[in-house]
Amino acid sequence: MPEFDIRHVAKLAKLHVEENEIAKLEKEMREIVGMVENLPEFDNTNLPLNKDDAMKLRQDDIKESMKRDDMLRNAPAVEAGCIVVPKIVE
Amino acid sequence: MELYEYTVTELSQLLKEKKCSAEEITKSFFSRIDAVEEKVGAYITLTKEKAFEQAANVDKKLMAGETLSPLAGIPIGIKDNISTNGVKTTCASKMLSNFVPPYSATVINRLKDKDVVFTGKLNMDEFAMGSSCETSHFKNTHNPHDLERVPGGSSGGSAAAVAAGECAAALGSDTGGSIRQPSAFCGVIGLKPTYGSVSRFGLVAFASSLDQIGPLGRCVKDVAVLYDAIKGYDVNDATSSEKELPPIADKLTGSVKGKKIGIPEEYFGSGVDPQVKEMVMNAAKEMEKDGAALVNLNLPSTRYALSAYYIIACAEASSNLARFDGVKYGYRAEKFESLTDMYERSRSEGFGAEVKRRIMLGTFVLSSGYYDAYYKRAKLTQLRIADEFNEAFSKCDFILTPTSPVTAFKIGDRANDPLKMYTADICTVPINIAGLPAVSFPCGKDGLGLPVGCQLIGKKFDELTILDAAYSFEKKLGFAKTAQL
Repeated sequence: MPEFDIRHVAKLAKLHVEENEIAKLEKEMREIVGMVENLPEFDNTNLPLNKDDAMKLRQDDIKESMKRDDMLRNAPAVEAGCIVVPKIVE
Repeated sequence: MELYEYTVTELSQLLKEKKCSAEEITKSFFSRIDAVEEKVGAYITLTKEKAFEQAANVDKKLMAGETLSPLAGIPIGIKDNISTNGVKTTCASKMLSNFVPPYSATVINRLKDKDVVFTGKLNMDEFAMGSSCETSHFKNTHNPHDLERVPGGSSGGSAAAVAAGECAAALGSDTGGSIRQPSAFCGVIGLKPTYGSVSRFGLVAFASSLDQIGPLGRCVKDVAVLYDAIKGYDVNDATSSEKELPPIADKLTGSVKGKKIGIPEEYFGSGVDPQVKEMVMNAAKEMEKDGAALVNLNLPSTRYALSAYYIIACAEASSNLARFDGVKYGYRAEKFESLTDMYERSRSEGFGAEVKRRIMLGTFVLSSGYYDAYYKRAKLTQLRIADEFNEAFSKCDFILTPTSPVTAFKIGDRANDPLKMYTADICTVPINIAGLPAVSFPCGKDGLGLPVGCQLIGKKFDELTILDAAYSFEKKLGFAKTAQL
């Protein structure tokens, strides 16, 4: 079983974890990691591309897109047609 | 018999013969919703007003003598992770509780073109992560066959609504069994189509390489009609297949004569309820009586499927759900001190416990130092599982297994035990891992009167063979009647 550092993983996942939740989360995560550990070993570890399901990029055509106002309608905070976020540069 | 008790195919016929109007059909389904929804709790949002407008439009076309599609005027419910322009799409999450998409999923546009009447948006596990609908932020959905039990999940609202007669058919999505397992628990038919056959454009992504939208209905033909309507290439989905997919609903014969049915030992192990095993094998024997041959198979890598599934699905989920940051749409925390604090608090307050668990696991398996040991090995395991299925299909035409090792469990029984909940998916996840089509159909009831689901797994893009086999059984047993409530 690898070291499982809840604080580090939560930071990477951009999740806020309260101190009193850490022990419980750690136990749960250890159990889940324990469950998924039984994978087979492989000699050849190259992952081939899937020829049958090769993805294709669509043409870079100029087409009408969604309207700005429609896109902003779901934003939590909007001012003068822009999304408002906390200041990041002092 | 009330109109809500008829199948899609029967309703379409009644309309065509002008024995009823689309408005009358819509009225019947909404009266049924009024009568039973409080007990079942299948819907998050009802779109009654729009539904009656859509029905009126169908009636106008009918009066004008226009030829109607087989789905015109048919009330269909939509799982709440499929985007509907102007109608809330919440994924049963606090994160999206006020989200109104400015566009519709491709499957919705295709159904609109067929003049479907949309009844509303159906409950599910939050972001489709769960097997019982209990992780929904809004409410529990109750199994119409026993209200103290779960409807399964994650498309539990879809299966419960179909079983209760609250819509004629529904769309769900299936990442590891989320259409088939609730279909089994609620005694309806659910099809998880071949990966790439139905566009995922507008489906809120959980695990993009495994997710697939599919139909649920009360009879095989209804499911085939709905599948025909939504499938086919879509330029907006880079993983959508360009393969020509001819209609199959009119090709169902209900014959399994000469077919070889693979029975994989690994799916009938000690974790499977003996009554489930018996009913499922009984379905196999019925098909044998009809001229099919049973072939014993081994799929030894099945034992790795659940691990590979949870690694791949959670890794993709952690990446897909990174977009929910409280900036452009979705929930934003009220109090925060900085931009990072806003991200963290919005995500922590907006997501439920199960979603956070899976994001954490996904972040962990993708993190530096663990990628090769977990994610890469899971992807290699995925190829091995897919190869085993391919080899199995050289010996048989399709494979028969239980859909779920158990029948519907009681609400609350497994909610606090993630590992126990995950094992509910053991028979269904290998199929998503391999990208194959599979259907669940009711093959009988257990001692408590709860439906048992039988799963048929097909070759890629061979939905016709598995639906036809399910149809052969349905012709004997009759299709699922609306649950008594």
